[in-house]
Amino acid sequence: MLNGLQDLGAAYLSFMEPMTLLYGLGGAFVGLIMGILPGLSATLAIALLTTVTINLQGNEAILVLICSYVGALYGGSRTAILLNIPGTAANAASCADGFALAQQGQAGRAIGIATSGAVTSTLFGVIFLATLTPLLSDIALQFGAFEFFWLALFGVTLSGSIVGGDPLKGWMMGLLGLFLAQVGEESLYAYDRFTFGWQELAGGIALIPALVGAFGLAEVLMALSDPVERKIHDLTDSVLPRWRDLFQYRWTVMRSGLIGVFTGLLPGVGEDAGSWVSYAAAKAVSKEKEKFGKGSIDGLMAAETGDMSSVPGHLIPVLSLGVPGSAPSAVLMAAMIIHGVQPGPMLMIEHPDFIYHVVAMTTLASIAILLFGLFGVRPMLQVLKVPRNILMPIVFLLCVVGSFAVASRLFDVYVMVAIGVGAYFLRRRGYEMAPLVLGLVLGPLLDKSLRRGLVLSDGSLIPFFTRPIALVLATITIFTFLLYVPAVRTAIRRVAALAGRNLYRLLGKGDV
Amino acid sequence: MDLPQPAPAPDITSAQDTGPLPNERLSPLGDLHDALGWIVLGLAIVVASWKMSRLEDQHINPLTIPGLVPGLLGAGMIIIGAILGLRSWERHRRESADTPPMTDGTAHLRHKRVLLTILLCCGYSIVLIGHGLPFWLASAIYVTGSILVLDRLHLAPDLHPFSLRALSHALLIGVGSSIVVWLVFERLFLVRLP
Repeated sequence: MLNGLQDLGAAYLSFMEPMTLLYGLGGAFVGLIMGILPGLSATLAIALLTTVTINLQGNEAILVLICSYVGALYGGSRTAILLNIPGTAANAASCADGFALAQQGQAGRAIGIATSGAVTSTLFGVIFLATLTPLLSDIALQFGAFEFFWLALFGVTLSGSIVGGDPLKGWMMGLLGLFLAQVGEESLYAYDRFTFGWQELAGGIALIPALVGAFGLAEVLMALSDPVERKIHDLTDSVLPRWRDLFQYRWTVMRSGLIGVFTGLLPGVGEDAGSWVSYAAAKAVSKEKEKFGKGSIDGLMAAETGDMSSVPGHLIPVLSLGVPGSAPSAVLMAAMIIHGVQPGPMLMIEHPDFIYHVVAMTTLASIAILLFGLFGVRPMLQVLKVPRNILMPIVFLLCVVGSFAVASRLFDVYVMVAIGVGAYFLRRRGYEMAPLVLGLVLGPLLDKSLRRGLVLSDGSLIPFFTRPIALVLATITIFTFLLYVPAVRTAIRRVAALAGRNLYRLLGKGDV
Repeated sequence: MDLPQPAPAPDITSAQDTGPLPNERLSPLGDLHDALGWIVLGLAIVVASWKMSRLEDQHINPLTIPGLVPGLLGAGMIIIGAILGLRSWERHRRESADTPPMTDGTAHLRHKRVLLTILLCCGYSIVLIGHGLPFWLASAIYVTGSILVLDRLHLAPDLHPFSLRALSHALLIGVGSSIVVWLVFERLFLVRLP
């Protein structure tokens, strides 16, 4: 405990250098701009910055990336409020109330609420990041091949079920991602799979070019397909953070903060889940339900605090299990590996101080967004006035540089273009990219764990279902699939209703 | 869970509009075509995995053959593809066969813009880059060309007439942005460019 506090103190002190602080502010600034631009996501911001910072010292590079992650999610709320288009997927829940407030001439107030909610909830999440990561790392040390197999499958299944509106399409994308991850030299015998004699494919499909294609080029095509330029709502009132609103809705902030952190812990659910669940919970307990969707401060506060506190939440499984909770955290994990830090159960043993460095970096990120929230809102919104016909070709230029720079291979640029064009057409047909990303990241883990597990059990599947942690993960994964079967869903609803009625009677409330 | 919907989007053809872009509307049988594609892909993966070497000469444990996981994933694709196809067929049977398609006056223009953007992106990343042309020059040509082409493919192209002013404006942005990217990446952060 004392060692942890000492490490944490040392981590905070290590960032108190002008150049390091400047890197943090720069990362947050780029993230904010990317978040403000509709469609350009936190994933793309981190992927592009990974290439820019490739020659920086590890901790400085990760600081830039974490600041851009937090900045992008925060920046996305502006677009939701002023354009009714979520800047990133995580800001979708802010659209309804944020845009309604803007229509009532309170766009500045809505942005102020987003700022105060974002800063407070990120700091709230940081407390859990500092306390839960070492605890989860201890538990993760008990994980073996059987548990990691289920964890990988659970992440992809859950992501497919939650992201987008169609679990079948989500799972299909997860399967495609898992399959793409099998391309190249496999880990047990160095055998080339699906390379068709192409030497470039032996190393597999690199994550950064694939992500830049799926989230960058696909978004460029989505944006440029629309021939109409969209106009932003006028910003007439003050955009300064509203601490009074924050105090008034403190229970919403606390509840949404907790929801954000705990949804962040689930592999594969993404930041938007924290936002939507917080919004639904706030509506369920609110005395002003009728205001939700029509400019409710409570609703906007819940949505913004839910998504921002999920950022530290997502970092917890990345650091302790090596399993990302969302697409941006998947890129962040890849960047950590590039910089020589292998996230996972052994991190707490090999680099115990790194976890506290991440805590300090996330704290710094929340301070950075506060500074930009106080002084930089109006100037940064100018970027929304740049026509897409000018902006998007420049974004593609960055996509080319980003996909090339990691390994200096033109082949990666071709991969980016192929995946980007494919992702565009898939998205137009209702297929989401987040499960594909999770599949790409978790594919090698799934492959290695299944085959190692089968060797350990001498071909028996029983240990996959009998070890306690594996059993829990297997049950949840299978249950997630079964929820799609209409008969199972109806039966669950019937059982839940029956249980509710019995509980009601038990509490002496009489017949329903 | 009771989730809110974003405020309704106004008419897409309005110049002052706000709101999210509409998704492509699929016909009830739209998913069936996808499903067939997924099943074919799944079958191809299963066959390729089955034919993959089992490394018998290395005497490996047969449970760890390289084709095991890809084969299972291919089988998963076939199963989910089949469910997707059945669901689509069921929806097609339930819905009226003569449901009118979504009328959107901008659909043709959208397709044209996407096609041209893909061509421009491929031209830049496959032809211009990495074949001897300096990065900043290749990028300047691409950005300038894209701005000029996309400005012409507008709902009201008369608002962006092709003129010397438009050309110099696009050229300025193209050259400026390319040089800035080159300076920031290669000179400031020492990143190798194509």
